[in-house]
Amino acid sequence: MRRRALLGGLAGLSLAGCAPKDPRPAITVQRIFGDCRAHVPKGGAPTQNLNGECEIITGLLDRFEAENPDIRLNVNAVAWPGYDQLSAQIAADDAPDLVTMHMAVIPDYQIHGLLTPLDAGLKAQGVTPDQFTPVARRAVTMDGEVYGLPFDAWTQLFHINMNLFARAGLVRGGEPVLPRNAAELLDQARRFRAATGKPYLVQSSVNERAAFARNLYTYLLSAHEVIFPDPHHIRLNTPRAREVVGLFKRIHDERLTTRDLDYVAATTAFINGEGGVYIVGTWMIGNFDNEAAQAGRPLYRGYRVKPYPALFGDPVLPAFVDGHAWVMPKRRRTPEQERAAFRLLKFLSVHEGDWTRSGHLTSMAAVVGDPVYQAQPHRRDLMAITSYGQGLPTDVQRQFAIQAMLSEELAAAITGIKPIDRALTDAERRINDMLTNLS
Amino acid sequence: MTGWLGRLNRQGWPNLLFALPFLAVYAWLLIYPLLAGMGLSLHRANLFGGARFIGFENYIRLFRDATFLQALANSLLFVLMCVPVLVVLALGLALALNRATRFAAFMRSAVFASSVLSVTVMTIIWRQILAIDGGLLSHGAHAIGLPAVPFLSDPNLALPSLAAVTVWWSLGLPMMLFLSALQQVPRSVYEAAALDRATPWTVFRQITLPAITPALVLVTAYECALQFQVFGQPQLLTQGGPNGASRPLVLYIYETGFNQWDIGYAAAASQMLFALILVAAFVPQLAQRLWRRA
Repeated sequence: MRRRALLGGLAGLSLAGCAPKDPRPAITVQRIFGDCRAHVPKGGAPTQNLNGECEIITGLLDRFEAENPDIRLNVNAVAWPGYDQLSAQIAADDAPDLVTMHMAVIPDYQIHGLLTPLDAGLKAQGVTPDQFTPVARRAVTMDGEVYGLPFDAWTQLFHINMNLFARAGLVRGGEPVLPRNAAELLDQARRFRAATGKPYLVQSSVNERAAFARNLYTYLLSAHEVIFPDPHHIRLNTPRAREVVGLFKRIHDERLTTRDLDYVAATTAFINGEGGVYIVGTWMIGNFDNEAAQAGRPLYRGYRVKPYPALFGDPVLPAFVDGHAWVMPKRRRTPEQERAAFRLLKFLSVHEGDWTRSGHLTSMAAVVGDPVYQAQPHRRDLMAITSYGQGLPTDVQRQFAIQAMLSEELAAAITGIKPIDRALTDAERRINDMLTNLS
Repeated sequence: MTGWLGRLNRQGWPNLLFALPFLAVYAWLLIYPLLAGMGLSLHRANLFGGARFIGFENYIRLFRDATFLQALANSLLFVLMCVPVLVVLALGLALALNRATRFAAFMRSAVFASSVLSVTVMTIIWRQILAIDGGLLSHGAHAIGLPAVPFLSDPNLALPSLAAVTVWWSLGLPMMLFLSALQQVPRSVYEAAALDRATPWTVFRQITLPAITPALVLVTAYECALQFQVFGQPQLLTQGGPNGASRPLVLYIYETGFNQWDIGYAAAASQMLFALILVAAFVPQLAQRLWRRA
């Protein structure tokens, strides 16, 4: 009996191998934002963290699959930022059809002819560049052609624990009191520490490859400093840069910030009410709102998010902006596959507003004026960033590598491992050595 | 069979045919990439082509690169921290567990078990122990009223912490190699020494150590080559920080090649690492020969 069942099973398996080939065009989407299938059932709502990045994108791709049964969609979730894997795939001629890419990274791939221009395909689907916000359009356009579908704009922000701010007397008329200059920041941070016994800032400082660089970019751009005099040189050791790094060093020295935390630990610390202000990106807004809605949690009914305060009397408001886009690596595709990929791009552009529930800012001009978008939490505080936020020049290559090198040097300066002057000089030397040896 | 074919046949050359499949794969997967890497190191090139011959410029650039020199020093220091400790500990454990008792068998398995873990699992475990936010040691320190020690974020502690983690992880194999060498030593020699009333130290120095010297050389050379290639532990625990204090050569090569796409420069750094490993692997053997002659 057992033998018969075994033989039957084997025969079944063999026959399964003879199943007819799926005639539908197959496309592969490669994305970051994590894997949360465990609590996002196919065709159902997430059972937790409704507005998380992962939950929204998983739901959107499921929905596309359900609404387009004539397309076979393979989804490959990779660890952030995913570029090592993508480069290896491109080198092995095994690139996915659509990939999430930071706008700042697009030039690296575009300049080597590795990306497909999207203008014609998008136009055929009714998506034109004039539908993007000006900042997003500039970031995805190279040599007059569009190489990415903008999916959002993001920036780093001051995420505030209002319950602790209230204890420190830093709430007025329901609004958090934020500093108007560097001296006021230090003063408020000291008052906060005295009143709550906790540090004012929560920061990720261990294994941190981005945040410190973004802080510096933010306050250099608001002063109209020219960070890249040309695409092969960076200029960092300036009085303003020393002033900005000096402020963060002082905050560290006076223990007005958390210390020795990595990204995960810093996020957990903020959620657990271990500090007043967490400097992190728009992508955490949905998660923190979720925390703020749960009774008994430290952030319950006590979470706000604000743009960086202007601390140095600058002519423009401070905001360093980048964004996520969808790009199409070059590879051989059938016309059916190409059409399927552009249909997915169209779907994503239509549902960009849903994606912004995560906290990201929109990159679509029509969504900016959409009452549904405007009614989302915190939008009134953040909307203006899409107009005054600034990015780095698109002709500067290796922006992620630059960010990592700069953050490493800045972390060393802020934590006192090396003097500020030397850290900025070292960062300049390392980055310029890389940029002048590009091939 | 006459002529050159006959001569070849008499010398046993046709037997080489049996080794040919292995040699072909070896040449294809090891010799060719090695030579290609050497060629690449003489070019300015990125991941997707654009190669331009620049002679030894990459090598000159390496010796002016403070980040490379720091990574080189870190790698040397890491090997010096790991290999002697590994050899002494593994030998000590092998001597202690070289007996046919259940406890010894259990301990052998327990020590070897850590080597079975993948680097990812191992680093997750050690992060739970070393992390300053809620790590096991941090909890322990707080419990006795001491401040937590930032093992992974202090520039003076990051590399020694990685070395300690690596020793824990890598101890199993050298211990097994020593055990197998110890079990090759004939019992009769030890019995003769016992009749001569030799002390344990004399037995170790005059019998055990000379008998296991080949294993000692093998373990030292193997561990040197292995620890120069450390990558997973710093990549997953410290990302080479803080301030590059725990960035070894392979992590430097990876960052240069895959984050900065400077693949020709990364190839030059790889050749330096290759030379270093060759030297490190030959030094113990050379030392053994000199010792024998002396």
